[in-house]
Amino acid sequence: MKRFKLTKDQIQKGGLSVIGFIVLIYVYFSFFLGPLNSSRSSMRTTIEDIQSKLANSKNEMIKATNLEKQASNATTRFAALKALSQEGAPIAWFPPRTKAFFANQAIDKTTTRLEGSVPFKEPDLSSWMRYNWLIDLPQADFSALGTAVAALENAEPLLSIGKITIRALPDDPQFQQVSLSASTAILKR
Amino acid sequence: MALHLNLLHEEILEQRQRQRDPLKIGIMVLCFVGVLMVLYYMWNGYQALGIRSRLNQVQADWSKVEPNVTAAQKRSAELNSIISTTKVLDGMIDDRFFWGPFLEKLSRCVALNAQITSVDGTVLENNRVSVAIEGLAAGREPRAAAEELRQLLLEQLGQSYSDVKVEFKVLEDLDTIVKIGGGNMAMARFGLGVTFNPGAAKPTPPPAHTKISRP
Repeated sequence: MKRFKLTKDQIQKGGLSVIGFIVLIYVYFSFFLGPLNSSRSSMRTTIEDIQSKLANSKNEMIKATNLEKQASNATTRFAALKALSQEGAPIAWFPPRTKAFFANQAIDKTTTRLEGSVPFKEPDLSSWMRYNWLIDLPQADFSALGTAVAALENAEPLLSIGKITIRALPDDPQFQQVSLSASTAILKR
Repeated sequence: MALHLNLLHEEILEQRQRQRDPLKIGIMVLCFVGVLMVLYYMWNGYQALGIRSRLNQVQADWSKVEPNVTAAQKRSAELNSIISTTKVLDGMIDDRFFWGPFLEKLSRCVALNAQITSVDGTVLENNRVSVAIEGLAAGREPRAAAEELRQLLLEQLGQSYSDVKVEFKVLEDLDTIVKIGGGNMAMARFGLGVTFNPGAAKPTPPPAHTKISRP
């Protein structure tokens, strides 16, 4: 068998070739194929994201349409409740409204004072405020008062009377002095 | 055996060495591998171009749909908020205590020989209602007149409310005499404490039938 013997020069050239091959592999994977593959995978991810969004969008649209049908009663009711809160500061419009209401019920001399306002604890009512009022009716007939209170509770669904005080007037037993502590939910404007 | 003389020995050796040159072989291998790599790169690049065109198409589709979807999502959130707010407000409206019917019942209970001088009603934290009633009763037996009012109040309120309690806080005779229907009547001052739950009284369940076993 013939011995295959490399000269020093051949070993050097072979080593150089191996180094060149390694450099070629490194450059190819680091600067060409690597960025191309990463760009391909990122594009694929983006496509999948968008496709899932597109698929969800159809469901979202159907859901919104169904919700619109289901919520028709709620929207009408909400609009009606919202309409009870007038524009402007409540202190400007609520006392005159109460005075006019009791005047229509044959009870004159109504005084309404604001005792304070607090935000609601419920997160759903973040755009609403609770206003506490003290309504004084210094001269009211009991039967007229009963009718007026019942009418007020029906006309103002967001008003709740927490305390009622009725005192007979010593000088005029036909009439009573009445004080109502009421709270209302009013939309923040 | 014929003698064979190789006079070109050095030239042939040189030629063989040139053919076996590792650098030349290495360059050839590198060129071959390089060509393969370029081909593979081009194939990948072609695929990347296909993916890019698909991405552009999908993005174009999404850009057409996106405004509608965003609007639908916004509207859904708005509707959900409206529904939940209305639900909470309706709960508050339904949980209110209505004083009108209570005052009507109170007025029905007061007879001609009784007079209510003050009423203090409060809706407590636990939604229970507490009312303090003060008044005067007149009659041959003024205490009995006051008791009659208490009984009537208990009966009337029991029809609409549950867990009704009507108790005397004060009941005392007064020295004052009043004239009612031409006769002189004694007077008594009373104070009533009324508490109840606004919820309607539950009907009492019918008695359970027991099965009698035959001997």
